Amino acid sequence: MPRKNEIANPAREQTRREFIKDAALGGSALLLLGNLGVLRAVKSHAGPEPVYSMIVVDYNKCTGCRTCEVVCSAYNHRQEVGGKTLMGLGNPKLSNIQVHSFNPDVDVPAVCAMCPDNPCVAACPVEPDPKTGRKALFRDPSTHAVTCDKARCIGCGQCEEACRVGVIMSNPETNNPERMCTLCDGDPQCVKHCPYGSLSHVKVNEGREFYGLKPEKIAADLTTRWYQQ
Amino acid sequence: MEKEYGYHGRILEIDLTSGKARPKQISSSDFENYVGGRGLGMKLLWDRLTSPGIDPLSSENPLMFMPGPFSGFPPPASSRTCVVTKSPHTSPLNSPYAHASTVSYSNMGGFFGPEIRFAGHDGLLITGKAKSPVYILIEDDKVEIRDARKFWGMGTDDFDRALTKELDDRRFQSCYIGPAGENLVKYASILNTTARAAGRGGTGCVMGSKNLKAIAIKGSCQPGVAHHERFLALVDEARQELSKSQLTNAFRESGTAMALVFSSNGGTMAVKNYREGTFAEVEKIGAGAAKKTVWKRNFACFTCPIACKKSGRTTGGPYAGLVHDGPEYETGTMLGANLMISDLKGILKCIYLADDMGIDAISLGNVIGFLMEAYDRGDIDRGFLDGIDLKWGDVDATLEMVQKIGKRQGIGDLASQGVKALSAEIGKDSARYAIHVKGHELAAWNIQADPFRAVCYVTANRGACHLNGGRISEQDNAAAVDCTGVCNFAAGAYGKTLIPDLLSAITGGTWSETAYHQAGERAFNLEKMFNYREGFRREDDRLPNRFFEDPLTMGPKKGAVLERKSFEASMDQYYQERGWDPKTSRPKNDKLKALGLSFTAGV
Repeated sequence: MPRKNEIANPAREQTRREFIKDAALGGSALLLLGNLGVLRAVKSHAGPEPVYSMIVVDYNKCTGCRTCEVVCSAYNHRQEVGGKTLMGLGNPKLSNIQVHSFNPDVDVPAVCAMCPDNPCVAACPVEPDPKTGRKALFRDPSTHAVTCDKARCIGCGQCEEACRVGVIMSNPETNNPERMCTLCDGDPQCVKHCPYGSLSHVKVNEGREFYGLKPEKIAADLTTRWYQQ
Repeated sequence: MEKEYGYHGRILEIDLTSGKARPKQISSSDFENYVGGRGLGMKLLWDRLTSPGIDPLSSENPLMFMPGPFSGFPPPASSRTCVVTKSPHTSPLNSPYAHASTVSYSNMGGFFGPEIRFAGHDGLLITGKAKSPVYILIEDDKVEIRDARKFWGMGTDDFDRALTKELDDRRFQSCYIGPAGENLVKYASILNTTARAAGRGGTGCVMGSKNLKAIAIKGSCQPGVAHHERFLALVDEARQELSKSQLTNAFRESGTAMALVFSSNGGTMAVKNYREGTFAEVEKIGAGAAKKTVWKRNFACFTCPIACKKSGRTTGGPYAGLVHDGPEYETGTMLGANLMISDLKGILKCIYLADDMGIDAISLGNVIGFLMEAYDRGDIDRGFLDGIDLKWGDVDATLEMVQKIGKRQGIGDLASQGVKALSAEIGKDSARYAIHVKGHELAAWNIQADPFRAVCYVTANRGACHLNGGRISEQDNAAAVDCTGVCNFAAGAYGKTLIPDLLSAITGGTWSETAYHQAGERAFNLEKMFNYREGFRREDDRLPNRFFEDPLTMGPKKGAVLERKSFEASMDQYYQERGWDPKTSRPKNDKLKALGLSFTAGV
């Protein structure tokens, strides 16, 4: 049974969202408002319910084992083997969720906060494409993942600067931004495989404790809470 | 060399005398025969040290950090790093070589071993000695020897923070020594994440002898696997096996501390310097008490679903405000029951100090237990102890001794050499209760009521070792697990076939259960030949007389004591089953041949 506020199958919700979005956009509106404005408009039309979903961490349960990193990497970085596309071997360097470990023992997995106001997309200086309305960095309408159009990305790093959590990293070779959560096509692998049940896939709620904070700030708070230090 | 599946095909060799680093190719046959970790480390040690009697603290002795072929891949609990070197802490009864000692292998969890593999290496091999204190920084192919003079003398807890600050990058994994390693305490440990230790066998002492404070490493790559699809299916299977295993649940619930009450109730706990097997106050230091008073959180090593590590915090009393791991079974027994200490917060303080100084808590608890007994018996006086009133159960006196040992001040200098050296100095009847095998102190499982554990201790190739296994099949299996990079605690839950099957999928070899088991036997026999070459013989496989002369006086196993004749008989049987000569304990040539170890037969 899905826990309260947890999205068991976001694919089911997708149809409804797509409908609202398509209705609201109507093509040219996007050019005028930009992604940000449109999504805000959608939100307001759709009532107080948040639009996006995200991975949240129950820090009380997380043990810092980094299984989330290896399964994220395996799913999002497939490998071609003997003509088949298979899950990768889970190199954690490529993971979109990254565990930050502190002394005293506190582990903070950091992952895209799916910010409703899209500071990373807003920071992208690339002009929206007239046909799609997309900048080089944009929200994929079906997955809601912040996505980089590598062909148009100029590698300026402004999205990385703008990212509140500090998740986005520029690839050292291509300078394209990486580590934006894909939600694994609606079935986040980190949630599925966390041995401790510390991750869940829920609707974005900006009022949630620790929402959108950098790992260092979260760790400092938890250190005080757990160890009075 | 052709690309090896499951391996990078090379280890990184760093000579601290010249400051130069270079990759060293490993042959396919060495991977096939010795797998990785403990086995491959042993083979490299044999290749490096071509003659016996080399001083373990000389620049020649290689200090190796050996992950296995599972390391850096996602099979659950593939987190271990085996540190392999020549021991600075063991010695035979008789040997023509002044510096004769056994092999040392010591296994630590955490994230360090996987990161070695992410950096593109199948191991690190360090030789030489830096002119002044240094640390090694490795990022993929890039290797830098950095000045560590400002860190020298720092406890591991402060150093862990200072290094992270200097590197300004939390993704570096590091391991390091404390003041004890710097000061060449013979049983100094190497730690990572301030609490996970390659504790046994003096690995930290060897690291200190090289003027090496720390290694920090970060990488970005992985080797390929031979059978990708099969590998993924087996990883899924292993995850399921571990998630439904009762072992997983039990370890997650209480860590190894679950054994404290259990062992005391079974009469197998090291209590009062191994005089007893049951601790009357065990409930005060067991997992139940720890949960109520100190434990805050569970922590896990890389990809591990078990999380046996328990972080604690003390409140109230003289040891309040401390944040550290523990107690585990070993640390809680050796710095608790063995010293008759039942103050849980005091034990946590002792564990913290041992880790902060970088001292193996097992040997440390054994040494202090020995001194407490010698003092109690009047074999030494307070003057011998620099005025410390080292009475059973005294936390503050214990803490004072730990400081002295870590700094090698006064009595701490002699005590830093272990119970064998102390007993040689004290004389009298003290060898009876100096609890070591080959100079290496026994761990927290007592043996008057456990003859199999007695065999486990005396036949371990690094000197007394509780993880060795009492039966030959257990010993070979443990050695095989130590070659892979998989954690010993998880290996049981993997079952018999999953590890060899995964090894086949990773490396492309054909690893039957038998072949896998034989790899463990091969490693074990090569270690034995190394020790034999150093001068260790059957007479070194001996126990202190206490275990034959001092029956337990309390608890469910009251009256239990080892019987010398049956012990010797079981040893005869052990050598025979091993294919070793019962007179000398040397593996016979046909055994060496069967294992592909004929190259050692000249010894």
